[in-house]
Amino acid sequence: MASVKIRNVEKNYGSLRVIHGVSIDVEDHEFVVLVGPSGCGKSTLLRMIAGLETISGGDIMIGDKVVNDIAPRDRDIAMVFQNYALYPHMSIFDNMGFSLKLRKRPRSEIEEKVMEAADILNLKPYLERSPGQLSGGQRQRVAMGRALVRDARVFLFDEPLSNLDAKLRVVMRTEIKALHQRLQTTSVYVTHDQIEAMTMADRIVVMNAGRVEQVGAPLELYDSPANLFVAGFLGSPSMNFIKGRFRRAGDGAHVLCDDGTVLPVPATSGATDDQQVVAGIRPEHLRLAGEGAGVAATVDVVEPTGANIELFVELAGERVCAVFRERHPFRPGEKIALGWELDKIHLFDASSGHRI
Amino acid sequence: MKSLNGFKPLAMILPGLLLAMFIIGYPVLDLANTSLQEVSRFGQLRGFTGFDNFAEVFSDPLFWGSLKRTAIWTVTVVLGTLVISLPIAIILNDDFYGRGVARVIIMLPWAISLTMTAVVWRWALNGRAGLLNATLMDMGIMTEPIEWLAEAQLAFTVEMMIGILVSIPFTTTIFLGGLSSLPQDSYEASMVDGATRWDQFRYITLPLMKPFINIAIVLNVIYVFNSLPIIWVMTEGGPANGTDILVTYLYKLAFRFGQLGKASAISLIMFGVLLLFTVIYVVLVMRDEKDTAAGEDE
Amino acid sequence: MPSKLKKSLIYWAFLSPLVVVILFPFAVMLVTAVRPRDELFVYPPRWGFSEFRWDNFAEMWVKTNFGEALFNSLYVSVLSTVLALVLSIPAAYALSRYPFPGKGAYRTFLLMTQMMSPIVLVLGLFRLMVALGMVGNLNSLVLTYAAFNMAFTIWMLQSYFSTIPRDLEEAAWIDGASHLNSLIRIFLPLAVPAMAVTAIFSFINGWNEFVLALTMIRSSDDFTLPVQIYSQVAGRYQVEWHHVMAGTVLATVPVAIVFSWLQKYLIRGMALGAVK
Ligand SMILES: Nc1ncnc2c1ncn2[C@@H]1O[C@H](COP(=O)(O)OP(=O)(O)OP(=O)(O)O)[C@@H](O)[C@H]1O
Ligand SMILES: [Mg+2]
Repeated sequence: MASVKIRNVEKNYGSLRVIHGVSIDVEDHEFVVLVGPSGCGKSTLLRMIAGLETISGGDIMIGDKVVNDIAPRDRDIAMVFQNYALYPHMSIFDNMGFSLKLRKRPRSEIEEKVMEAADILNLKPYLERSPGQLSGGQRQRVAMGRALVRDARVFLFDEPLSNLDAKLRVVMRTEIKALHQRLQTTSVYVTHDQIEAMTMADRIVVMNAGRVEQVGAPLELYDSPANLFVAGFLGSPSMNFIKGRFRRAGDGAHVLCDDGTVLPVPATSGATDDQQVVAGIRPEHLRLAGEGAGVAATVDVVEPTGANIELFVELAGERVCAVFRERHPFRPGEKIALGWELDKIHLFDASSGHRI
Repeated sequence: MKSLNGFKPLAMILPGLLLAMFIIGYPVLDLANTSLQEVSRFGQLRGFTGFDNFAEVFSDPLFWGSLKRTAIWTVTVVLGTLVISLPIAIILNDDFYGRGVARVIIMLPWAISLTMTAVVWRWALNGRAGLLNATLMDMGIMTEPIEWLAEAQLAFTVEMMIGILVSIPFTTTIFLGGLSSLPQDSYEASMVDGATRWDQFRYITLPLMKPFINIAIVLNVIYVFNSLPIIWVMTEGGPANGTDILVTYLYKLAFRFGQLGKASAISLIMFGVLLLFTVIYVVLVMRDEKDTAAGEDE
Repeated sequence: MPSKLKKSLIYWAFLSPLVVVILFPFAVMLVTAVRPRDELFVYPPRWGFSEFRWDNFAEMWVKTNFGEALFNSLYVSVLSTVLALVLSIPAAYALSRYPFPGKGAYRTFLLMTQMMSPIVLVLGLFRLMVALGMVGNLNSLVLTYAAFNMAFTIWMLQSYFSTIPRDLEEAAWIDGASHLNSLIRIFLPLAVPAMAVTAIFSFINGWNEFVLALTMIRSSDDFTLPVQIYSQVAGRYQVEWHHVMAGTVLATVPVAIVFSWLQKYLIRGMALGAVK
């Protein structure tokens, strides 16, 4: 097993730069998730680690060796592809044993390793079938199995669950996590699904437009996002944003919105008076305020999900979402008042988007 | 690895490229050279004569006759082929009993060399005992056998019809490829919108098939323009040069009459015409590819 | 479904004239091939004949030197196909897998050579073979057929190759395969059907070619089938039509059967972009 160090890596396609100097350190045994919107360069970065794309600038190190010019097969990595990339003309057994066969391992060892992996992944009944005769979930497990038999130093995953239905995705998510806890193989996992990222990662790397926005443990990113992009990307339903001016008044502070609404915020904030800011608050941190307190809002749409009620209201001229566990009988058009604990408010500079 | 990446694909295309350049490039250059020289019957070059060969070609009434017939031959065969192939492709693209058999039969002429087809037709059209005469007389359409190939006008007409017949499979194949790529849901949407089958043809099939029709036109023009075996085997351009087109006339000049300078000049003229068609084709293909590439990006 | 039946009848009614015209020469061929010689020229001409003369085929085989022509055709078609494929497979692979400088120009060049017909260049080609001392040599046909076929085979192959997912090879590299190894173990096995189909079409092209064979080959011992059969007809006072037709039957029917079986692949290949 080994660490992976990415140092100022760049990628150009002709004159088009798609990765702008990215640096990430993946510790030994760590499970790191790269997450970001479609087209932000996650796959490109992962494929550079794998050696499937050339590196236009910077260095990638696996262990303590720079691998920029090392062929994929000599990097000692395993990869699970989005479309699984199972060899259609080989049986499941041969698919899983192919890498060992290429390394000229004895038949007995190949059999032992494949059986072991098949056992872990419940693939034993299918070993003689061809990939075309398996379901999507089974193929996904074969792709995992192919990586498992390798004892590779690093596992790379490129959206391995995106072709599965929602239920199976949740099951496989847990399985992959359990597998990692057992094997402790250094893993880099690419996804655009922030829930996958939150649930699976030791650390998350949020990417956007070829740059790293923030790196950190899932809850760290969730609780103190470094900027508007990360704040909006993680969490579902996503964080509410309301624009306004920061004001201090006495020993308190508030954000004054354009329509005159006053949002109480913590006075400890580092914002300066009259600074243009964006206040962010997560839907689950909004609660009903008592008589005479809180900020006025008008109910727009009520969406019960069973476990929660998602409520969309108009507040300070913006569409704001609130989530309640209790089953209040809200009606569209109803006037309500919402409140929050001051320390749940995030303030961002309106022009730079950085956290204040 | 990095430095190899640009080099490897070039090494992979190179051997084939060299063969093609040699086999196709050398003759072009040689023809260009020969056409400007005086040439003996046996191919010896006797020095530059400028454009004498071309002048000779342009003052030759047989050349102009062949050119005119080439135009008639090409336009008639290509138009006839297109007009017949499009409905056939639409039928073959639909589901009906015996479609597999129908496809095989329609494609059959493609499998057989033009030479063989022409030989068989030459016999079938035999003025005394040909089985076409037998058929028409059995059906009571005529009482006397006809000499189909003895008179230039009739022979040329028959040859053009055979030309159409053998061009149908290829053209139908292009159209079938096009039809199978048409989005099924626009037909379903149009049915919901109340379109008749004619409306569908007029407003969906025809516009969407336009790139395929264009390509079928250009490719057929090129193939038909170049087609020698039918006329050569059936009438050898005769009687009295009455069915000669440029390719048959060129072949006679080069390999019968030994007029190599003149033949080279005609070759070059035809090469130029062909190049023009090809450029049109390339432009069509490139435009088409750009469209599909743009479509894939979405 | 009765409406499908009705539709089928209408379609067949529409297709029938063409079907008749297409099948007519086949009927002519077969009926003449088995006819006794003295029933070729009867007046009035008629389809019927008194007996099936299968001996025509045996006589024709000997008289027209059919066996040798068959061998020559096989020789030229097989070798030119092998040559074209050996050169086309790497080129098609490069086209479908790598970006490289001049790719656009190369594709244009391929389109151009696809358009070039041997007939326009036939005099130049003949002079080239004279210069190479290859006139009358079957290998001159092998070279020219391969060169003129290559544009088609490259297009066809690369359109199939592009449908083989690239990540299969990438997975193999990561599994530890060298480029060569992944090519041999992963790519080529998957590409076999495409190569077989392409090879057969290239073979048929060589099998049917006429102009170059007529020009390059001087001695009747080296004639390919189309030229051999043509020579039984051209410039003769007495044409033995029953032999000629027996020859065309033998030369065309096997190819027609193989072709009928394969034509759906050709349609698919074209849909994939061999023509586009
Ligand atoms: N061969 C290429 N040539 C030019 N641009 C490319 C090429 N491959 C990828 N790109 C561009 O690089 C950017 C990053 O692509 P990448 O595949 O890494 O995105 P991604 O983050 O994996 O997205 P997704 O979640 O949709 O898979 C995209 O904007 C893409 O358009
Ligand atoms: Mg991706």
